Amino acid sequence: MSSERLPTIRDMLARVHLRLMLFAVLLAAASLTLSGGLVIRNYAQRNLDLVARTVAYTVEPAVVFDDRQAIVDGIASVADGGGVQQVEVFDPAGRVLARWNNPRAGLPAWVLQAGNRLLWPRPAAVPLMRGATRIGEVRITGNPEGLLRFALAGTIIALSTLALTVIATRILARRLQSDVIGPLEHVAEVAHAVRTERSFDRRVPVAGIAEIDRFGQDFNALLAELQGWHASMAREHAELSERVLLDPLTGLGNRAAFEAALADAVTHAVTTSQSFAVLYCDVDQFKAINDAHGHAAGDVALATVAERLRAVLRQADRAFRLGGDEFVVLLAPVGPGETVSRIAARLSQAMTPPITMPSGQAVCTGLSIGLATYPDDGLSPQELLRRADSAMYRDKRARSQNKDGGL
Amino acid sequence: MPPVAAGEPLLPSYALAGAAEGERYAPAVARVVQSLIDYTRWPAPRNPLRLCLAGPAFHASRLDGLKLADGRQVDWRVLPPGAVSAGACDAVYIGQLPLPAQRQLTAALRGRGVMTIAEADPTCRSQAMFCLSFAAQAVSFRLNVDAVARSGLRVDPRVLRLSAGQP
Repeated sequence: MSSERLPTIRDMLARVHLRLMLFAVLLAAASLTLSGGLVIRNYAQRNLDLVARTVAYTVEPAVVFDDRQAIVDGIASVADGGGVQQVEVFDPAGRVLARWNNPRAGLPAWVLQAGNRLLWPRPAAVPLMRGATRIGEVRITGNPEGLLRFALAGTIIALSTLALTVIATRILARRLQSDVIGPLEHVAEVAHAVRTERSFDRRVPVAGIAEIDRFGQDFNALLAELQGWHASMAREHAELSERVLLDPLTGLGNRAAFEAALADAVTHAVTTSQSFAVLYCDVDQFKAINDAHGHAAGDVALATVAERLRAVLRQADRAFRLGGDEFVVLLAPVGPGETVSRIAARLSQAMTPPITMPSGQAVCTGLSIGLATYPDDGLSPQELLRRADSAMYRDKRARSQNKDGGL
Repeated sequence: MPPVAAGEPLLPSYALAGAAEGERYAPAVARVVQSLIDYTRWPAPRNPLRLCLAGPAFHASRLDGLKLADGRQVDWRVLPPGAVSAGACDAVYIGQLPLPAQRQLTAALRGRGVMTIAEADPTCRSQAMFCLSFAAQAVSFRLNVDAVARSGLRVDPRVLRLSAGQP
């Protein structure tokens, strides 16, 4: 996925932090090292001058008395402390009276020379005065070892600070992630859940960060509106679909509902190897009732028939009005001690009481019922319906012959 | 250089040999004496500074006409033999005198603000403040701390380091 190659906010934060901190540390280290080096160099220069003056003061009598050993001893007593590489005492003519080298030179000579050239362009020189007379000169070469050690220590400290910085950056990025990106991820997760699972009841939890909380509140408000819209839409949709499948007069399912139910019943029967039955019913003499008592009376008759059907049928059975005076019943599998024809007989019997018309007259009617059983009479819905229909016509013909014969 | 003049017949024979070397050491002695005076403070400034010679000396020929580093003049005078009273001197160069005589002299000058330098007392038993000692090439000195402390003068402490006898 290309999304895996995209940088995460955490990476970006870590990178920005790292750069920021590197910049800060390097800037601080550079400025500190520079200023510290300058200050220390100045102090070293002053130290050299001070040592030179002290040497001059100390060896002055020795120079006056021309005691060379005393000169060297005097230099050693003052300059042995460190920071001094070489001390030379000259007479006014420029001849060397005494020369003292630091016996504890820890660094190679070339390093010392390079350091000296860098730090002190010329040695510290102090004239030796006796009263107003110049009796010689003291020249001191510094020892840059201390400064070099400072630079080394500074470098080591800067490097370790950098290492600490990198670690701190990681920790900070992680904390920022949990503080900022965590809540954002909550939002993203809720949005994802809403989109994929339609779970409009999900809400973004409080993050404790002002901006993200404002965002979360707006997001939650949007979700609430969305939930409302979704609920009303679902309600309307359900109503509409119900209306589409219902016969408004009788409250039974219409032809479309029946076709879907029949297809479902066949599928169900195939998978469960159960049988079911289709009853095709037609109201006898409906046309005559319509003609004699008007359409309103016909409607009453149809509603009454539907009511009686519902009263007789079991919970699992379903009745539909296909149109006109045609009804269909889907009979669920019958239990032991029960047969489809007995149910049909009960239906037929339920129709015998007369129906009271709006005009107050009572009308007698009946149901012609055709029966088709799955899988005995057919395997497809069309076949079952056709067989039930023709069975119904056979029944209607038989009933009308009986009636005629009975008359 | 010819031997020391016959005008000083009183000098013992060993001193004659020293006198022959006198000219060799004289500049160094003059330098040491001048430096010692330079590094010493009198209770009141002395100008000119009166440097006296007590007894005969081998190496004092250059002491006449010394000039100090700060420009002060040094008056040079020779004390008559036996004149222990040195009220007229700020510094006394003690020459070739017997040890008792040297001691007598230093005892008389003690606490009077007079510097004493002994030429002929290498072991520094005369109670002089400074005692010269002569090596092959150089002239050095020893410093008697007791004598310096009792002299009433202030000697620059840096000079102590140069004293041959001091650690």
